[in-house]
Amino acid sequence: MKLAGHMRGKTLFFWSIFAPALVVMIWLTVYPMISVLITSFQNYDYISGARSWVGIQNFVDLLKDDLFLASFRNTLVYCLAATAIEVILGIVLALIFYGSFKGKSFFMILVIMPMMLSTMVVSSVWKTLYHYDIGLLNTTLAALGLGRVGWLIDPKLALWSLILVDVWQWTPFAFIVAQAGLSSIPQEIFEAAVVDGATYRQRLFRITLPIMRDQIFLLCLLRTIDTFKIFSKVFALTRGGPGNATETTSFFIYREAFQYFKFGRSSAASMITLAAVVAVSVIYLRKMLKTEEA
Amino acid sequence: MASFVTAKRSPLFPIILILVLILALFPIYWILVTSFKTPIENILPKPTLFPQKFTLENYQKIISGGPIRNLLNSVFVTAASTLVSLGLGFLAAYALVRYKFPLKLNIVFLVWIILAKMLPPVVLAVPLYDMFAKMKLLNNLWGLILVFQVYTLPYCIWMLFGFVKSLPLEFEEAAEIDGASRFQILRLIALPLVRTGLAATAIFCIIVAWDEFLFTMLFIRSPDLLTLPLVIANYIGEFETLWGQLMGIGMLATLPIIVFARVVYRQMTSAYSLGLK
Repeated sequence: MKLAGHMRGKTLFFWSIFAPALVVMIWLTVYPMISVLITSFQNYDYISGARSWVGIQNFVDLLKDDLFLASFRNTLVYCLAATAIEVILGIVLALIFYGSFKGKSFFMILVIMPMMLSTMVVSSVWKTLYHYDIGLLNTTLAALGLGRVGWLIDPKLALWSLILVDVWQWTPFAFIVAQAGLSSIPQEIFEAAVVDGATYRQRLFRITLPIMRDQIFLLCLLRTIDTFKIFSKVFALTRGGPGNATETTSFFIYREAFQYFKFGRSSAASMITLAAVVAVSVIYLRKMLKTEEA
Repeated sequence: MASFVTAKRSPLFPIILILVLILALFPIYWILVTSFKTPIENILPKPTLFPQKFTLENYQKIISGGPIRNLLNSVFVTAASTLVSLGLGFLAAYALVRYKFPLKLNIVFLVWIILAKMLPPVVLAVPLYDMFAKMKLLNNLWGLILVFQVYTLPYCIWMLFGFVKSLPLEFEEAAEIDGASRFQILRLIALPLVRTGLAATAIFCIIVAWDEFLFTMLFIRSPDLLTLPLVIANYIGEFETLWGQLMGIGMLATLPIIVFARVVYRQMTSAYSLGLK
């Protein structure tokens, strides 16, 4: 009797402290996702509020839409290029600055400053640096006798200029993660390898990188997820232009919904994005649940 | 390059170190000097590395104009959404660690949270906009605090889950035997033990909320309710070359956050160390 009351009290207590977060998450994420899923099969007129079912028409249209395909391609290029450059640079920096030296933690704190700035501040300073006529980059190039570069106005280059900004902002993150991993590998392992006559390259490719494999994987995932969302940098620096050279899926979804009021299309584009995110996260979750069980 | 083991380093080492520092810090230096230059100096065809005429003009304009108000909005929204997330997140994390909910709810919920964190937020924008419009929460700072939970709550739950999980059970069991109620155990034993975890989580939450752009742009109409990232975005769009003021506002948006750099460095170093012994 008393035990039953005790159990009921326990159940009630844990449900009541869990409920607020559960309700907020359902309300802010589960419900909207269901709503987007439904709308993606509809034609939704915002002014009259009328909805009609159109089956998979929105999806078919999108997959034939050059702008959507271009935005998806741009997002992939941005996501993969930025992640690869950041992770490689981060590992290289961690290797260069391995071990302790005078003022290391002060150096590290200074080096991670770029990732502490908010994206809009980062975008605004790069916008001034990239300015075609009076930006520091072009005036320096001109002073050196080289030609000016259309950083944000050349369609071939604009996406890479955005990638460069991301690399500047987030390489410090890759650096800090890689160096945390590297410095937690016991030195004895390297010492033993040196005694056994392993060269620098052998130590790097046979010992260091294999030990850090899971961590490098995690780093790649975190950066992929983050760069895949790219929105505010595009908004601040190029608005998707020139032409549609820097249009990304997030920006495409935003424009379809909030500028053209095509909610069916924007919802279908959202679902395609969701599918891509789920595909990536399945790899991640599998790995994570495995370590959780172990 | 530097050797892996010994302290012997190549003579290039200090040069590389300085080069890395310049690459990392130059744009930040540029924000600072640009904010102290006159508007005319800022549009010279040849930019100057130091202000020729040091001026506080940009900061005077900022202080007499709207941005201070926007700074306060940013502070308020960031602080409130962080507090809400920490509160809800800690309670939920504690429940998820200490209690097995039916239907595998624990794992389903945690997986959903990761998915929500991975999703580009613009995907949720239309239904949230509709919902907030119906509830009269658009153009309202409280609405903003609520919608920020999309970013900060999954983050808090996930981070605090790890911290609560690492707490030893013995203290709580001892307290239970001594007749403490569950709420007392939560408040007097678990909460103090997880204090450093809460502080670390709070800082990462603050950084995320401080940076938020999309929902603020969609949900806020009145200029005096905007947060700093929006003010900066509007400046970039409207006044092509009022760079001095723009960078001054950039400094306003940077100073309150940059003080956390030390804690972020420490926290990340311990969080991303390999579990090797």
